[in-house]
Amino acid sequence: MFMKSLRILAALTFPALAGCAAALPPQELLNAREAFSRASSSPAARYNPADLAAARQALDRAELAFADDPGDSKTRDLAYLAEVKSLTAEARGRNVENEQAHDTAEAQYKAMAGSKLDAKNAALANDAARIQATGMALIAEQHRRSDVEKRLHDAMSRLTALAMVKEEPRGTVITILGNVLFASDKSELLAGAAERLNAVADALVAEPERSVTIFGFTDSKGDFSYNQSLSERRAEAVRAYLISRGAKADQLKAIGKGPAEPVADNQTAEGRANNRRVEIVIAPAKESSDFYSP
Amino acid sequence: MSPSTSGFSALIVGFALTCGCAAAPVPQAKVVSSAAAIRTAQELRADETPTSQLRLQYAKDEYAQAQRLIADGDSEKAELWLARAEADAELAVALAKQARSERAAAAAQAELRNVNAK
Repeated sequence: MFMKSLRILAALTFPALAGCAAALPPQELLNAREAFSRASSSPAARYNPADLAAARQALDRAELAFADDPGDSKTRDLAYLAEVKSLTAEARGRNVENEQAHDTAEAQYKAMAGSKLDAKNAALANDAARIQATGMALIAEQHRRSDVEKRLHDAMSRLTALAMVKEEPRGTVITILGNVLFASDKSELLAGAAERLNAVADALVAEPERSVTIFGFTDSKGDFSYNQSLSERRAEAVRAYLISRGAKADQLKAIGKGPAEPVADNQTAEGRANNRRVEIVIAPAKESSDFYSP
Repeated sequence: MSPSTSGFSALIVGFALTCGCAAAPVPQAKVVSSAAAIRTAQELRADETPTSQLRLQYAKDEYAQAQRLIADGDSEKAELWLARAEADAELAVALAKQARSERAAAAAQAELRNVNAK
């Protein structure tokens, strides 16, 4: 009874074992199946399905040969072919994918480089505009300066016709005789003084940076302190008038000199007339820190 | 069919049969296309990267094996080895191209990152 059942078991098991041994696929076929499965899920499915189909066909032939005769060496050769074709399909698909990635990156690079270039050009244009604006401002400043120069020049030439103008180391010295400006012993300006002093005022307004000192002088006739005081009042009267014509108060100083520093002989009437005078000294221009100095 | 033509036909059939029995020769076209695939792989510098170089070497070895089988008269096996040689040569080309395009794509992407970073 035991022996019989053992024999049945053996009869059932042996063919099964034999079947298993015969059905065991060669390594080449296993490799081919795996390579094809990998290729199928690679970019080849999208880009080069024809290569994949060829691999499929080669694998089918290998499977067929294996099913037909599991022991035949032909299966291994066909399976090897199927594996190589699968690998080729995958490599070709990845190649297409790489080429597309390359083209995309290159297109983006060109677009990006182009826009960067545009930005750079815009910055350059901006710089050029700024430089031009600066240049225009410079030219405007030069015009303004030469306007000032012209006004000063005009004022000076008008003044030269009306008063004595000298260039000295202490500056531009404008000398106006006392009898043109004031009545005898008076410190109120005469009506005729206005024309001359207006020309002076114009010159001062044009040159607000230069400091101006107004000196009053008398002749030596009469009381010294009276003359001193008269010269001070006259200098102050001129200063006040110039300020009323637009000159800056802190630009102007008034000093009475009395009979000091005569320019002519006090013994003669003509000499005394020359000594009674007002000198307006415009100090030389200070070194300018501006980019344009006349 | 005239008697003379039927005799001629029989002669051809008989000749074909004897040839087949001796050894069906490997079609020259298969030899040529296999050799051409190897030459193409060499021209496309398939020996540039290690993987493609290995495949090219396989192809050459397989082609040599096929030649030996042809000389031995084993046409059936020779044809299979010619096919293997051709397939390996094509794989060598595909791998070389893949490596090349991979480098080019990486370079282009690096350039793009560079311009973006500026």
